[in-house]
Amino acid sequence: MIRYILRRVVAAIPIGVIVTLGVYALVFAMPGDPLRELAGDKPIPAAVLAAKRAQFHLDDPFIVQYLLSMKDILTGNFGTTFAGADIADQLRLRIPVTLKLTLLANVFQWTFGLLFGIYAGFKRNGWIDRSLLLATLVLLAVPGLVAFFAAQFVFGVQLKWFPVSGVLDGFPTSYLLPSLVIGLLGFAGLARLMRTSIVETVNADFVKTARAKGLGEQRVLWRHILPNAMLPVVTFLGLDLAGMFGGAIITESIFNLPGLGQFMFQAIKLKEGGVVVLLSTLAFLSFILINLLVDLLYGILDPRVRHV
Amino acid sequence: MTATGEVLLKVDNLTVEFDTPRGPVRAVDGVSWQVRAGETLAILGESGSGKSVSTQALTGILEMPPGRIVSGTAEYRGADLIAMTTKERRKIVGDRITMVFQDSLSALNPVQSVGTQIAECYRVHRGLSKKDALKRAAEMLDQVRIPAAAKRARDYPHEFSGGMRQRVMLAMALALDPDVLIADEPTTALDVTVQAQILELIAELQAERDMGVVLITHDLGVVSDVADNVVVMYAGHVVERASTAAALDHPVHPYTEGLLGSMPSADLKGQELPTIPGTPPSLRSIPSGCAFRPRCPIAIEECAHDVPPLLTVAPGRDAACIRRTTLAEKEAV
Repeated sequence: MIRYILRRVVAAIPIGVIVTLGVYALVFAMPGDPLRELAGDKPIPAAVLAAKRAQFHLDDPFIVQYLLSMKDILTGNFGTTFAGADIADQLRLRIPVTLKLTLLANVFQWTFGLLFGIYAGFKRNGWIDRSLLLATLVLLAVPGLVAFFAAQFVFGVQLKWFPVSGVLDGFPTSYLLPSLVIGLLGFAGLARLMRTSIVETVNADFVKTARAKGLGEQRVLWRHILPNAMLPVVTFLGLDLAGMFGGAIITESIFNLPGLGQFMFQAIKLKEGGVVVLLSTLAFLSFILINLLVDLLYGILDPRVRHV
Repeated sequence: MTATGEVLLKVDNLTVEFDTPRGPVRAVDGVSWQVRAGETLAILGESGSGKSVSTQALTGILEMPPGRIVSGTAEYRGADLIAMTTKERRKIVGDRITMVFQDSLSALNPVQSVGTQIAECYRVHRGLSKKDALKRAAEMLDQVRIPAAAKRARDYPHEFSGGMRQRVMLAMALALDPDVLIADEPTTALDVTVQAQILELIAELQAERDMGVVLITHDLGVVSDVADNVVVMYAGHVVERASTAAALDHPVHPYTEGLLGSMPSADLKGQELPTIPGTPPSLRSIPSGCAFRPRCPIAIEECAHDVPPLLTVAPGRDAACIRRTTLAEKEAV
């Protein structure tokens, strides 16, 4: 088991290098001068500009800039943003915001997804099942941006059920609306997957065996059908959790939540390669970690893929 | 032929239909048979002849809908399994009547250890503690000759070979000492040598327990090896019912005759193997009268008129063929 984990971690290193290098190159290739972006229309004294450029190594060749950034990240010496904020402080403030948003959104998505999926799987062609299919099509067709702005306007501005934006109302009030929208946009796909998986499993031979053993329906459901039907859903869980950070960039910007996504958005706008790469590395590490956890969980659930 | 044992399971006039978008399809039509303690009854037929559907219907594991029991009774020691509630039936099916299926890899839960799956029988039907149930499960695995049973009880189905897995299925089915074992093609997926071992094991355990065995198969060789009596099914109907020896030596129904004729044997070496011409009818378009009529070498015009009734041609011998039953009656006179 330990060897398996180590192997996975070691295998992640070259991928990490490629990902960070690629991200850094993309930021580097973006047009415009970062410091001029920051200053806006105001003229900057040449001496200040030169000092700043030297501080952030902006005149060095691309590969040197990249290596210096990576050195800073690996030594935990994150430095400051172009605007002068301490990056380590920023991370301390922002990581909890993103975690709260992501986790709450997942709670909604998984609750709706599993409940509807399991119900529809057992009551095939019932009205819940049929409306779920319709809801899936509608939800998949609605772009996230439209849904976020529409929800913000209807439930925040008009009905005033939720705060419009910001985190002044704390957890969970400030996070409810964005989480609900993310959860609703994502639950339908999950519910369909769960439903299909159950439909496939209820017809399996071992379910027939379980019935032939004279087991009650509840036992057949909990001991035989669900543990098998959950397997494809667990794989989905890993991919989905990992994708949440990408979604956070849009959501946090729209709802003005000071999390990592918003930080990333600002950094990209300012061409702050160091910050973008730092956040990408963080996202990458969490991706690797979540995938590893999901694989380990899968091994526990399914003995056929157990790693020794 | 053991005619002495108590009748354990008696199926009478069982008819099962499936509802399909294009109307109902009759998979089992007026089937009757019985099995006594210590007896092995083989239900012989091609795929689609309704042999599995009939047993799945009476044990209540048939998916209903689309399946539907139209008529008939299935009495276990006088209690009709079909009329009773699901709750009552669960006390009998899984405890007194148990089943073994063909494909042991898909018939066992892939994410539970085999020990747990066997122990579940003791937990649910006998209320044993987890520890005791697992201990009994290991003993059961030992009884079906699985080496190092206590250790292997912790293994998962995919870690066993096909033959060993079928033994696990048997251990699970026999865990509660049932009165009737319904084995649905238990050896079809296995190598011939392993097949013989499994059949021997079933026979041995049957003798120990005086159990009735209903063996569903399409393999005449299996029937001749182990069955006391045989019920031959064709297109949902029972076409012949006899002791195995009688059916194999002097088949009455032309279908049984055809099956016997198409069995490879040493005498036929070098010759082309005879087959029954044509294919079994689709259940959607069963021919009028006798369903076997279009493939039958001795069919006459009258065969198309009515479904031939199952008539007794000799003590313990029934056949559904107007050509043969009238012939036999004439001979008997």
